Amino acid sequence: MIGLFRRLFGLLSVDHPSPSLKQSPTVVALAVSLLLIVSVPDLNVTNPVRLFVGIGMILAATAIAAYMTRHPELERWVVLVPVIDVFAVGAFRVGTGGSTSIFTGMMILPLLWIAAEKSRWHIALAAISSSMALLLPYAFGTLVLHSAGELIRGFYSPLVFAFMAAVVNELARQARVQLGAVKALAEERAETLSRTMEYAAQLEEGEARLRAADRMFRGLWSAVTEQAVIGTDETGLIDAWNPGATKMLGISRREAEGRRYVFDFHVAQELEDRARELNYPPGATVLNPGFSALVESARLGSAESREWDYVREDGTILPVSLSVTARTDEEGEIIGYLFVAHDVTKEREVARLKDEFVGLISHELRTPLSSILGYLELLRDEDDNPLSPEQLQYLGVAERNAHRLLRLVGDLLFTAQVESGKFPLDLTEVPLAGIVTAAIESAGPTAAAAGVSLVDELPEGPVVVIGDPVRLGQSCDNLISNALKFTPRGGSVSVSLTATPTEALITVRDTGLGIAASELDQLFSRFFRATTATRNAVPGVGLGLTITKAIVTAHQGRMEVESEEGVGTCFTIRLPLAPVGAGALR
Amino acid sequence: MNDRRVVIADDDPDIRGLIRISCRKAGLTVVAETADGDDALAAILRERPELAILDVSMPGMSGLQVCRHLREDDSLAEVRILLLSAAVDEHSIRAGLEAGANDYLAKPFSPRQLAVSLAEQWATLP
Repeated sequence: MIGLFRRLFGLLSVDHPSPSLKQSPTVVALAVSLLLIVSVPDLNVTNPVRLFVGIGMILAATAIAAYMTRHPELERWVVLVPVIDVFAVGAFRVGTGGSTSIFTGMMILPLLWIAAEKSRWHIALAAISSSMALLLPYAFGTLVLHSAGELIRGFYSPLVFAFMAAVVNELARQARVQLGAVKALAEERAETLSRTMEYAAQLEEGEARLRAADRMFRGLWSAVTEQAVIGTDETGLIDAWNPGATKMLGISRREAEGRRYVFDFHVAQELEDRARELNYPPGATVLNPGFSALVESARLGSAESREWDYVREDGTILPVSLSVTARTDEEGEIIGYLFVAHDVTKEREVARLKDEFVGLISHELRTPLSSILGYLELLRDEDDNPLSPEQLQYLGVAERNAHRLLRLVGDLLFTAQVESGKFPLDLTEVPLAGIVTAAIESAGPTAAAAGVSLVDELPEGPVVVIGDPVRLGQSCDNLISNALKFTPRGGSVSVSLTATPTEALITVRDTGLGIAASELDQLFSRFFRATTATRNAVPGVGLGLTITKAIVTAHQGRMEVESEEGVGTCFTIRLPLAPVGAGALR
Repeated sequence: MNDRRVVIADDDPDIRGLIRISCRKAGLTVVAETADGDDALAAILRERPELAILDVSMPGMSGLQVCRHLREDDSLAEVRILLLSAAVDEHSIRAGLEAGANDYLAKPFSPRQLAVSLAEQWATLP
């Protein structure tokens, strides 16, 4: 469409016609003139030479025009063609009767051409060239002036031609200006059109992407059937409700969206308790304080996961783990919240069963052990029929193993307590030297039996921490008994107590089997046993270090370990020192 | 010493045996042995002994419940109560003493030490 318009416009354009095309009217006029001369007897040829010069010049100009048409780079010289034409017509006029020739008017055609060229000096060129073409024959004597009128005509006609040229030049100029404007408009329109098409294509592509994303989102939204996903505005009014929420809470999307508040599905008491926990003064929040408590963390910018009870539509309670996040607009302002909940009934049941199991172990294992140990003791105390030394030795083995089993039960129970967060500490001021000495004393017989020397290094001043003496003693016992188990006969275990300005350090160093560097990370994991332990058949189940670390951590302390296989291991317990004058705790 | 009478309650007959032997060694007379809390309470109300040794976790009433019942009855204020349990944490011990027990003994226990401690207690009492 645009192409066709352009082509049409090009044909009409003043600038566009080729020199040949512009020359064509003159050629046609020449042909008509010649036809008239041949066919009309009254038309006399007064000077055949001039006539042929004129014809020749027009043909030459036509040839030049044709050449220039082929070579557009010569365009600035194109005005030469009509100028030659003007002089050719002058000659033609002389050849056909001079001032009486009827062909003088033919001069108008090349003059129009000259006048229509771009700048205004062409007006002058038209005037001068026509004037010269008319007057030159007199100067050369080819024509003889018969009257003053002929001379005047030589000036007068060019004057008329000049006026005409001026008018044509102005018209052409205006036409060119308009044409330029039209052209610019057309170009602008074409550009706008192509840009619009480009935008349209981009829009279409964007829309397709959006539709795909929308399908993806809808698919996801409907696929989540085991988690309740609920969206609300900043007041808690529900505006999004997924199939999981319907399944979990028993009401449909239609019934929930825009009609219900998210806190309708919470236990009011829980929300109030949480608000109290967060120290909300009464009436401090504009919104429902329970709702504010629910979204507190999300509002402050951190996602929060916490256990709550949901109240179903039928009034039953469902324990859930609920993550709350804020929804924001483009400026980052909070416009609502998202609540993602999953049912933790099973998790809670598992935790309950675990507690029950631990209780069962504690009771069902301790009771038979109580009988075993009690009756073994009665056997040992039998006064009427005393046992033989050999029998007493067998009895000792049975007792030792029963005690080992008892310790294991205790360790298991303690590990379970640590895991469930029920880890009671009986805090008091503890002078560590006493703890370390007691641990070394109780390990003495074992060390002697194993042929390992047990050394202690104690500081002169007291080293006091705040802690549970029983648990701290248990930590020391564990480390020393480990060190003894892993140290071959002839080796040594040294236990030292030192203090930095802020920390107490209990170090247990052995010359034992050591631990592979790659295993140091897992050392404190439950039931983990180092390969040096399994390879050398060192007894144990892998709970001692787990328990020791749990105790130290509960005292805000840290545990460190250094080891080299075949050289030895060094465990360090670092505990924060009791502040001076912390007697209040006692 | 024959007027020191004891009621023993534990669902495990072997543990009851250990306690019985300890009591005998301490010179006490076991007047009733029961395997659950309800029977224990009935036996104590019937026998009105000087001492009751109660396991905490028993079928029927727990040792703690029996203990609370006894402490509600002023006429039984003279009965000493020793609770016996496998739970040795602070919380359980405190709960036992708060229920009105005079003493709390953790399983496993040494029958030798139990006998000595019972004999000592009785020797110091009027």
